[in-house]
Amino acid sequence: MASVYEGPIQALIDELGRLPGVGPKSAQRIAFHLLKIPPEDVARLATTIVEAKRQVTWCRRCFNFATGDLCTYCLDERRDRTVCCVVEEARDIVAVERTHEFHGSYHVLQGAIAPIEGVGPEQLRIKELLARIGDEGITEVILATNPNIEGEATAMYLARLCKPLEIRVTRLASGLPVGGDLEYADEITLGRALEGRRDL
Amino acid sequence: MHLASLELRDFRRYVHADLELGPGVTVLEGANGAGKTTILEAAAWVALGRSFRGVPDATLVRDGAETAVVRAAVRSGSDGVGRHQTLDAELRRAGRNRVLVNGHALARARDRLDLLRVTIFTPDDLALVKGGPAGRREYLDDLLGFLAARYDAARADYEKVLRHRNALLKGGLRGADAQHTLEVFDEQLARAGAELVRGRLRLVGRLEAHLGAAYAALAGRPAEVAGRYEADWAPDGIDPDDAEAVLRDALVALHRREVERGVTLAGPHRDEWRILLDGMDARTHASQGEQRCLALALRLGGHAVGRETIGAAPVLLLDDVFSELDPTRADALAAALPAGQTLITTATTIPTAVRPERHLRVEAGRVLAGAA
Repeated sequence: MASVYEGPIQALIDELGRLPGVGPKSAQRIAFHLLKIPPEDVARLATTIVEAKRQVTWCRRCFNFATGDLCTYCLDERRDRTVCCVVEEARDIVAVERTHEFHGSYHVLQGAIAPIEGVGPEQLRIKELLARIGDEGITEVILATNPNIEGEATAMYLARLCKPLEIRVTRLASGLPVGGDLEYADEITLGRALEGRRDL
Repeated sequence: MHLASLELRDFRRYVHADLELGPGVTVLEGANGAGKTTILEAAAWVALGRSFRGVPDATLVRDGAETAVVRAAVRSGSDGVGRHQTLDAELRRAGRNRVLVNGHALARARDRLDLLRVTIFTPDDLALVKGGPAGRREYLDDLLGFLAARYDAARADYEKVLRHRNALLKGGLRGADAQHTLEVFDEQLARAGAELVRGRLRLVGRLEAHLGAAYAALAGRPAEVAGRYEADWAPDGIDPDDAEAVLRDALVALHRREVERGVTLAGPHRDEWRILLDGMDARTHASQGEQRCLALALRLGGHAVGRETIGAAPVLLLDDVFSELDPTRADALAAALPAGQTLITTATTIPTAVRPERHLRVEAGRVLAGAA
């Protein structure tokens, strides 16, 4: 979008537009909102951003977000350290946690292998994962990367690395969403589910 | 399935046009540049979600307008007497297009295919026979995607994996990490590629009989039309059950050359589907007339396979088909037109054997009802 606003306004719109999921129209709306609300509200938002950025770092062990040396899951003594669920992003932990089914530890790769974007294994927290497998006595690695090309490539890469370590390596199953109707399932998912059918 | 009516608003040169259509043959007659092809393009857009000419959607919006609208009333069902349903497409010069089925937003782009499918032939299809293998691969993959969603997915997956793998190869592949990554993408390329190849081989097998029949009907003589699927990575022919392993091994053997060239040198993106007419390569050995007949036979063959698969004939759109054929072959086509709905554009008179149900005159972006 062409610069049609005065310097500081345009600068704000441009900065907001750089955020993920914020298009030019949304950036403009947020900018106008910020300019309209009381200065103390804006100051609070600004401080919150700066403080969050200052206080939050990566967990030294699993590379989830943490406010200290270790994240909440790594500090939790009740969790099973022998099983490690490997995810692409910290937000994926939240998704797995919502199931209340998993009580092991996590490892965040901070991305997936994507040569088009110049992301190779060396940009991911893979060395760190391998070190953990040796140090922490992990016996099972659950590869919970996304079921797309990049996620599958990353899972495959990790599976190859883990093979000589003689640990159990598993991958999340793909299939039909529970509670949904068969007629609403898309053909691809239904096709995969047919392929992965089980005997009863 | 058939189109009961088609309405265009601000679509290319049309301000507004309203066409009453129905089963059987509709002839759209008019001078060159009158806007006949545009009618077919609008009908095809509703079914495909893109222009069959491969132009960006924004160029389909009439100059001076912001939004083009195509509204199709469709009768679905194999007998064409099923429910009346509407498909509304709004194409915006800027911003997202919208497609509504019976007034409701489409959940998935593919769902529209339950209502309306088209087979389209244009004079440019001559390139399918006369041109390089890329056009024939596209023909097969388009038809595959038309038949089953999984092949649309397999094709998209394959293209994505290929881009990743090429990016990796261009990067020069330094270090053990990169070598391992390449092996992973070998495996993925082989998996997605084999899926695509298996689909192509099955399709090719189904097509052959239809191609032969369509060609023989058009050419007015018995002829042997065969397709030969050729892949450098499987010089002795492809065993579908083995394709994945064979392709992977071929890729591994090519690693050194691929790094030098910075591209993937084996896989379905380089395969050829050679069309043989009486045992000779049609691309190099068939006459221009024979090539035209073959191009048309390819579309009619795909149309027949589509009808077999979905249990109803897609709407057949024939752009300027008669000007390309000599009178004997034009008569043969008229006699061989499949049942169902057909829209034909022409700038000249059509063979008497066609017997259209409807005759519409197109003049400078306006549709006039003509004498039948």
